[in-house]
Amino acid sequence: MKLTRRDFNKVAVGAVSSLGAMSPPGVANAAPRLAANISTIDGVRFGLQPYCYHDVPMNRENRPILIERMVENKLDIVELHTTWCEPSFSGPGVSAQEARKKLRDWRVSTPDSYYQKIKQEFSDAGIEIFTSWVNFGIREGDETTDEEIDAAFRAAKALGCKGIVGSYGLAFAHRLIPYPEKYGVFAGLHNHDNLSDPDAFSNEESFVKGLAISPDFKATLDVRHFTAGNGDCLAFLQKHHERTSTVHMGDRRRNNGHSTPFGQGDAPIIQILQMIRDNKWPIVVLLEFEHGTLRTGVEEVQIAYDYCKRALA
Amino acid sequence: MSNKGQIWVLLTAIALSAGIARPQDPNGQRGVINFAQPILSDPLLQHSKEIFILNGCVYCHGVDLVVRNGEAADLLHSNLVGQDQNGNLIGPLLRAGIPQTPKLSPMPQFSDLSDSEIADIVRWIHYARQQGRYKEAMEAKDSPRGDAAAGKAYFQQKCASCHSTEGAFSKIGTKYSESELKAQILRPKFVEAPKTLKIDQPRDAKLEAGRPRHLSLLENYTPGDVNNLMAFLQSQK
Repeated sequence: MKLTRRDFNKVAVGAVSSLGAMSPPGVANAAPRLAANISTIDGVRFGLQPYCYHDVPMNRENRPILIERMVENKLDIVELHTTWCEPSFSGPGVSAQEARKKLRDWRVSTPDSYYQKIKQEFSDAGIEIFTSWVNFGIREGDETTDEEIDAAFRAAKALGCKGIVGSYGLAFAHRLIPYPEKYGVFAGLHNHDNLSDPDAFSNEESFVKGLAISPDFKATLDVRHFTAGNGDCLAFLQKHHERTSTVHMGDRRRNNGHSTPFGQGDAPIIQILQMIRDNKWPIVVLLEFEHGTLRTGVEEVQIAYDYCKRALA
Repeated sequence: MSNKGQIWVLLTAIALSAGIARPQDPNGQRGVINFAQPILSDPLLQHSKEIFILNGCVYCHGVDLVVRNGEAADLLHSNLVGQDQNGNLIGPLLRAGIPQTPKLSPMPQFSDLSDSEIADIVRWIHYARQQGRYKEAMEAKDSPRGDAAAGKAYFQQKCASCHSTEGAFSKIGTKYSESELKAQILRPKFVEAPKTLKIDQPRDAKLEAGRPRHLSLLENYTPGDVNNLMAFLQSQK
């Protein structure tokens, strides 16, 4: 076989180009960057609650996968659980109390620069970290100290967040009062559908109590759970849209019914999106679902997102 | 450059590309879980697993019943699941849901599921619990020696209706190694025999009754039960 110079150059360039596509071990491929405003559809800003990627454990080792997937789904704003940033201290021979104490100590001692690097990872991909989801300990044996609360707000600030959110109730919410003003970050109140718990955020009445605690508190209205608790999402938004920063958008059936694919439950998804659009409310819509699927998380998020886009068509 | 030289450079470039390519995980997806895998050889069990997945059960309870968040009931060790017979306890609970308790998140109600879907979920829960309990027992480290007298009492209560220490069990202590005996206690070989729907197949009523009985025991053994039974049966020499 006689190779011409042209043949050789073509193949050699191809082989060497593949070196660029295949990074050295330990170096991630540079993720493409999302175009600005890519997930703002007809004035409505869409983003992701990464719990949707049920097939990716939410830990810091998998953070590159989260970023890659959000780029693939073209969603440019995220509510980032702290587990995507924090090490895990659980393991064989480590008691739950020991692990919890190590986590607490780590949170309090981690410098802002650690979180700023994480912010940069997302920024490089064109993704904004809107809120930090913090699993504050609210149960006996899992208590959160004031230092830990302060550290959570400091971390959220360093991540560039506008707010923090968690599944805490009324009693714990009172402990958050000083921090939003100190760090310029709001505290979000998130609901479930446990109507029997007077401490929990679940219906409009509980939100009204929570929002009255501080003007720096905002509602993260979880549409699924509000619907499952037989609440009226549209009436809530009509009254409280100025105090609502976010909706977690998903579908569930009423009367504590189970999660469903978008459009198969009782949540008025289409009307909510149109209401946000028509009134030009600056409410961020974060996709979140919990229905089972045999598809990958990316595929399932895309189906949910496409449903929402059709609602605004 | 000669052709030989060109080929050498080319091959070197290709080799370099391959050599420093990023290593791929076996599944090609770092950190991603495929709940449906591995595909089971029993299509009915695989289907049951998929129904368990499609109803979102895996997100809290885990496909192998190892709890994924700290707030779901531990089905691997739940007394209710251990006492369930063909869904008589699990079924109503699924349909009604559970309100939040101080330790557990509320569980949604699945009142709209068909009887068949409920049966599938129940089937998967029991299968996964059997697999999980077997693994736990076989992998238990530093198990204390059991009490042969307690093992004998357990045998009289739970096993003697079908088994006797005379006959096949009289020298069972010499027949198996320690781990083989444990495996046989937990999951006798006949339990794994493939079932058939062939209608003219002769049936052994004792084996057919023994299968669910052994699987129920597997789901409910405590570590002490297993150690005591081991001590008793190992003394049969």
